[in-house]
Amino acid sequence: MKELIQKAASLLETNVVQVVIGYGKGSADRTRAIFSTTAADCEQLIFDSRCIQNLAVYLTKAEIKKMGKPAIVAPLPVLRSILQLAAENQITDDSLVVLGVSPESELIEFESLAAIETYLATKQIAIEEKYQTTIKAIKAMPVSERFAYWVKELEPCFKCYACRAACPLCYCTRCTVENNQPQWISVASHSLGNLEWHIMRAMHLAGRCTDCEACYNACPMGIPIYLLTKSMLQDVSENFGTYGPSLHRDNTLSSFNPDDKESFIR
Amino acid sequence: MNEFEPKIVAFVCNWCTYAGADLTGTSRIKYAQNVKIIRFPCTGRIDFMLLLKSFGEGADGIIVSGCHPNDCHYTSGNFHARRRWIMFRGLLDMLGIDVRRIQYSWVSAAEGAKWADVVNTTVTAIRELGPYTDYAKVAGYLEKEANV
Amino acid sequence: MSKIGVFICHCGENISATVDVVRVAEAAGKLEGVEFSTDYKYMCSDPGQTLIKQMIKEKGLTGVIVAACSPRMHEPTFRKACSSAGLNPYMCEMSNLREHCSWVHDKSEATTQKAIDLVRTLVGKVKYNKPLYSIKVPVTKTALVIGGGIAGIQSSLDIANAGHQVVLVEKDPSIGGHMSQLSETFPTLDCSQCILTPRMVEVAQHPNIKLLTYAELEKLEGFIGNFKATIRKKAKSIDEDLCTGCGTCITKCPTKKIPSEFNTGLGKRTAIYVPFPQAVPNKPVIDKENCLYYKNGKCKICEKVCPTGAIRFDQEDELVELEVGAVVVATGFDVMEPSKFSEYGYGKYKDVITGLQFERLASASGPTLGEIRRPSDGKIPEKIVFVACAGSRDPSKGKPYCSKICCMYTAKHAMLYQHKVHHGESTIFYMDIRSAGKNYEEFVRRAIVEDDVKYIRGRVSKVYEENGKLIVKGVDTLLNAKPVEIQADMVVLATAAVANSGAEELAQKMHISYDAYNFFSEAHPKLKPVETNTAGIFLAGACQAPKDIPETVSQASGAAAKVAILFSQDELSREPVVAVVNRSAPPLYSTCVGCFMCATACPYQAIGEELITNRKGEVIKRVAKVNPGLCQGCGTCVAFCRSKSIDIDGYSNEQMYSEVMALLND
Ligand SMILES: Cc1cc2nc3c(=O)[nH]c(=O)nc-3n(C[C@H](O)[C@H](O)[C@H](O)COP(=O)(O)OP(=O)(O)OC[C@H]3O[C@@H](n4cnc5c(N)ncnc54)[C@H](O)[C@@H]3O)c2cc1C
Ligand code: SF4
Ligand code: SF4
Ligand code: SF4
Ligand code: SF4
Repeated sequence: MKELIQKAASLLETNVVQVVIGYGKGSADRTRAIFSTTAADCEQLIFDSRCIQNLAVYLTKAEIKKMGKPAIVAPLPVLRSILQLAAENQITDDSLVVLGVSPESELIEFESLAAIETYLATKQIAIEEKYQTTIKAIKAMPVSERFAYWVKELEPCFKCYACRAACPLCYCTRCTVENNQPQWISVASHSLGNLEWHIMRAMHLAGRCTDCEACYNACPMGIPIYLLTKSMLQDVSENFGTYGPSLHRDNTLSSFNPDDKESFIR
Repeated sequence: MNEFEPKIVAFVCNWCTYAGADLTGTSRIKYAQNVKIIRFPCTGRIDFMLLLKSFGEGADGIIVSGCHPNDCHYTSGNFHARRRWIMFRGLLDMLGIDVRRIQYSWVSAAEGAKWADVVNTTVTAIRELGPYTDYAKVAGYLEKEANV
Repeated sequence: MSKIGVFICHCGENISATVDVVRVAEAAGKLEGVEFSTDYKYMCSDPGQTLIKQMIKEKGLTGVIVAACSPRMHEPTFRKACSSAGLNPYMCEMSNLREHCSWVHDKSEATTQKAIDLVRTLVGKVKYNKPLYSIKVPVTKTALVIGGGIAGIQSSLDIANAGHQVVLVEKDPSIGGHMSQLSETFPTLDCSQCILTPRMVEVAQHPNIKLLTYAELEKLEGFIGNFKATIRKKAKSIDEDLCTGCGTCITKCPTKKIPSEFNTGLGKRTAIYVPFPQAVPNKPVIDKENCLYYKNGKCKICEKVCPTGAIRFDQEDELVELEVGAVVVATGFDVMEPSKFSEYGYGKYKDVITGLQFERLASASGPTLGEIRRPSDGKIPEKIVFVACAGSRDPSKGKPYCSKICCMYTAKHAMLYQHKVHHGESTIFYMDIRSAGKNYEEFVRRAIVEDDVKYIRGRVSKVYEENGKLIVKGVDTLLNAKPVEIQADMVVLATAAVANSGAEELAQKMHISYDAYNFFSEAHPKLKPVETNTAGIFLAGACQAPKDIPETVSQASGAAAKVAILFSQDELSREPVVAVVNRSAPPLYSTCVGCFMCATACPYQAIGEELITNRKGEVIKRVAKVNPGLCQGCGTCVAFCRSKSIDIDGYSNEQMYSEVMALLND
């Protein structure tokens, strides 16, 4: 970790960046995001297996943007989010410094976003076996039962939007749930509203979600909404072959292939 | 008791299916009254949120229809739509929302007979599936709350 | 609060025979927002329209619904009527009670109920209609024509003769394209140069045409009526104003052995050259790759001999910016790289040549002055085998399509040969003879009957040399695939017509689409054959698909007519059904987050960016911006935008949402 702290400190000292977004010690056994603005602050930086929060979410937040150019501590899931944000024109090569952290906890420096893409090419997003099994099991339920299962799973959602706040890709300045002209989604936390909210959010992440699981980790009610995005990730790769963020490939849903195959259109 | 008359909303593009349905009319081909058309400029404009809203407001079935691939008036709106439908359908299926209740089709301006057939077979299919009570129950919860 | 007027039409009895129109009008009258409703025998008649106008004035209607036939039929009629009564035409919508209701259902309660539902649905929409105003865009009345083959020449002349300015850009040193290389042309056998040269000269002399040769498009920005084109004028190394075209430099140039492109490698040229004697402009350029001075720093003989001192070794490429209102793309085609035909021995045997090379041999201005002599030893061939479909209709060569011109020019070649070498024998291997076109079939018949050309239906499997002869092996499929072997002196391959090698790149520069074979795509295969899917850019000639001269010229004139129509107005008026990115008060300015996925999805490249700056001029937000000149109103972007920051007038989120709600809530 020394290497990371040194690098971060020197970036601040040389004024290459004005803030370092990283992980620090939180309450109890938890970690939290910290924002270092001086070399001394950087001493607080830590990195270990508990650091699961997706820091990329801060890159688009106005408060953080105001602090100046950031450096960001970026393990694999964060790197993926960074690349997706770049593909969506939210960040550029000169807008940040990426302090990559390999799965072996080694510091990796990236001189460009394109270098991140090259690095990630060898680390394809793969849906864990256990989730695949769960998804399969859900899809095997009779349709009414499946519906009942989800209504029940979503029941505890009280629309706190912690999932949205944790998601690096939910960076809209006005989320559609907040749009009342028309009122697309009823704000109260009842079954229909919950269902609509989660369908909408999943659709908005279709072809974009990088499977970081930040939404799940954030949800106070432990609702397995990640199963929706994971299932869609599978659908993307099965139907279009392309998934994972890319700087040169257009987003899956804003592009098409004239030969896309389906079996349900008459 | 009366036979169940499903409520079906059709989301169609102006250039192909709407014109095709006009041709069904000029050809005087008969079909069931259950389907009501909403006109969009292009299938590319058809928002999945509107399909969702239809179920929420009590639709038993939905038809989505536009120009055949390569025939889109705007060249590629239908290709974009097709990708979106593939994803949307997958998601609904995962959630247990009955995908049989949404019929997608390509109906060209020359396919008046096909439009009548799409309507009639969809009406028959939805009639067999019965009213969409699963969804209505969830939506009904909303009404109860609103009445409090 | 809306004050909507609903007018139910009987359409004679077309609607009223199955729908209880009186009840529909009654039900409509009870809907929230409806001020007035009635039924009438013929709404589209004069009294019907007068009724609408009168009610707009009398009741102060803010919206009108005419429930009658299909809007595809009468929407313009009723919108115009509303407009003349002072109501914005886009406040009027039609409910389709005839094609979508009375004609497809029997008379019944359900039918009347459906009619009521349809009217109610539209009331839901019209409540959210907004007045819209047609969009005006200024038009720069100068056309850019890219490519100076017969297509570009024809388009340029037509546009110029309609009184508009034209800039014609040609990448080669001379205009003329493939047609200038042809000997005589089917189906009349008139000399290609003789009919083409006068037009080339007319282009050069036309006061409305500015000709830029040895030039290429570098960049194209803007939109219909308002393009900005950047043209790269490649350095010719001569001062065109001083050069008189005397040609002394050409005669004195010591580098004389460069294969001439114009003569398809069958002749030679110098390093300073004009491609052919009738070239327009008839002034030389220096081919930097082969010039001794550019290569070794020594020579400059041309500079010494030039009587006017026109040689400029230090000339550099020049970038010219042009403002143009329309673009005609006429960059033509190419013939397939014949090295793909190893089985036919092209490249291995000198006397296996392409059809285009045969044109040069048969041309009076060609390397043999029009005598058919074989490249290897200059002898007159006694027997020629022509191979049609060399590459075309052959998925294994990547070209499954028919090149369309080869059947005809192969017949022509055989005929020309028979006319020049009376005792010669010509055989054509073919798959099908495709000679649809005025006087085309007759032309092929003449080759067979009068000139004794032998047609064998079948493919050639191999060509090889034996004892100074080219052995052509093939089968005759009309004789049960009987093997055929011919000892020939020369073999001519009708190579497939293919897209230019730079076509893809050029299309991307202009944002027009192209097909799997890199031919440019027309906007609609039947009804918009000269338009592209980018408004203001048109197609002419073989760049769109292989075609012969008559077809090329018709399309070129078609494209010119489209340009003239566009230029006939000072301003372009467009349907205001276009997308808009929302704007709100600072500090938000817009809910758009600038992800630009809408821009990738837009089929018309209509979405660009806008930088929002604060008072100090600093950029504080980068958001999407729709160019109303380019937007065609499909709404793909609207359904795509997650945060609903982009919306489309006429089919807005609020309109469509309300329409769905109204339909399902009776
Ligand atoms: C062997 C052969 C024989 C034929 N015989 C006949 C016949 O007898 N009768 C008949 O009707 N048709 C005949 N044709 C067909 C005829 O040649 C074409 O129909 C005609 O040439 C098409 O004209 P065009 O202007 O579209 O293309 P082209 O003739 O290919 O002209 C295109 C022009 O655009 C220029 N250009 C290309 N790219 C660029 C660029 N990026 N920027 C600027 N300029 C560019 C080229 O240099 C060229 O000058 C024959 C064709 C072949 C191959
Ligand atoms: S899923 Fe969880 S985090 Fe998201 S809004 Fe519902 S309760 Fe909040
Ligand atoms: S749910 Fe959709 S609209 Fe809301 S913030 Fe996420 S992406 Fe944006
Ligand atoms: S309008 Fe919507 S899709 Fe387009 S750039 Fe803005 S946020 Fe993205
Ligand atoms: S409505 Fe269609 S053409 Fe217009 S900007 Fe949107 S996607 Fe492009």
